[in-house]
Amino acid sequence: MAEHHLTHKDLVKAWVLSYSSETCYNYERLQALGQTNQMMSVVTKLYDTKEEQVAALKKYMEFFNTEPSWIGTVIHGITISMEEQKANGAAIEDEDIISLRTGLMGPMAGIGDTVSQAVVYPILAGICCQFALQGNIAGPLLFEIVYKALMIFFGYNCFMMGYKQGKQAIVSLLQSGTLDKITEAFSIIGLVVVGNMAYSRVAVKCPLTFRSGEVKVVVQDMFDTLLPGAIPLIITLLVWRMVNKKMNPTLIILIIFIFGIVCSYLGILSAA
Amino acid sequence: MILSAILVALLATGSQWWFNHLITRTWLYPLWSGFLVGVFMGQPILGMKAAAYIQLTYLGWITAGGSMPGNLMVAGIYGTALTIISKADPRMAVTFAAALSLIGIVQNTAYMTINAFWVHRADKYLEEGNLKGVRLMNYLPSGILSLLLYGLPVFLMIVYGATWSQNMIASIPKSLANALNLVASIMPALGIGMLLNYIGKKKLIGFFFLGFFLTVYFKLDTMACFVFASCVAAVMYYFQNDTEEAE
Repeated sequence: MAEHHLTHKDLVKAWVLSYSSETCYNYERLQALGQTNQMMSVVTKLYDTKEEQVAALKKYMEFFNTEPSWIGTVIHGITISMEEQKANGAAIEDEDIISLRTGLMGPMAGIGDTVSQAVVYPILAGICCQFALQGNIAGPLLFEIVYKALMIFFGYNCFMMGYKQGKQAIVSLLQSGTLDKITEAFSIIGLVVVGNMAYSRVAVKCPLTFRSGEVKVVVQDMFDTLLPGAIPLIITLLVWRMVNKKMNPTLIILIIFIFGIVCSYLGILSAA
Repeated sequence: MILSAILVALLATGSQWWFNHLITRTWLYPLWSGFLVGVFMGQPILGMKAAAYIQLTYLGWITAGGSMPGNLMVAGIYGTALTIISKADPRMAVTFAAALSLIGIVQNTAYMTINAFWVHRADKYLEEGNLKGVRLMNYLPSGILSLLLYGLPVFLMIVYGATWSQNMIASIPKSLANALNLVASIMPALGIGMLLNYIGKKKLIGFFFLGFFLTVYFKLDTMACFVFASCVAAVMYYFQNDTEEAE
């Protein structure tokens, strides 16, 4: 049997196709069909007969879900390298590939979602919104360009790293705790920036004033002297508490609607 | 008008039918998708501002494991389109977007549920050795489904919705407009709360307060906070490595 090797072009093609993993996104098996679609390009290169191709593809129809565009691509890189070795006679069982994929999809989703959704997205969107609100068209353009550039940089390199270094490298990286430390460093940046946004974006003030004799008391001035930003901070912490109590986001939105409308009509709070 | 509506409908379709994340990944986010709506409808600046206000509501929203706490795509695309056709104040549009995004949960759930049928068909095709059929199942039926669930409603809204939406906006009294403005100002707290819940471990939560009070007392903007936070994170990262080596 002739050796089957993937060229760089095959790998790039598989990487691009991996970005279709959520095209037919569904509750039952999430990214499974999309992954099968991706592996089709690889498997048809590696196996000659239709029977072998079908047998190889079947394992990708199993439930699969990870972070798809930034970090999770590393799993596809590893999978493809294992599939290539298997096609060339290495003693790799289908179960090995399935268990590796199932084992890595959780941790990679954890890191990938932290980097992409908890750090890059809010920071970039927060900064770009400032431009956009000033009427500067650079806002959305910068968001699109920087987001995609970072996504492609991470996604491509993780994919290729997975392919070249295989599962050992990733498993040892997981075990050494390096990934946790990187996640933590990203979290610190995310938290500081979110703290900034809690003050600058939750723009709420208290319009109440009291009159005691000749003295006019402006409640907001009292807050500003004692603890500026107290109102946005309290609101943010209360909402966080609700999220933390696993309250349904839909319910929280409804509560915010009712709370806001009531407070506005009572004259307790207003938009700053 | 019709052309704008068609373009927005296609955008809405792709905002859920992620045919390739190299293109569609950012269609999820109101700032970009809403801006595109503005461009397609010939109102890029208004669209961009509405999109930015909507986006601020959803900072920190995390969609993981296929769950979606509110429909970001509907908020961004439908919200911006509604702002433009109703000639509303972009700030006010935020509350409509939030309301629409709740209805959008139904669209998202329907999409994710019905798509499972195509997966079963793909199983069958794979069994028969029909690889083209499998590939077709990945792309085609989900695309048509998204066109119906996401594209068609926004198309109808843009073509037929101008009059009623303008009447609706005009009928809102000043006091309610103020109240909705307040709601819009509180809404970012939800995204922030979600984010804190996701990354706010006890030992790190001090950094949230650091960012908050740096902004209160020193008036730092987001970019400045990002720069200082990066420095702190880098120092922390290398210090941790040092202490480990010392042990």
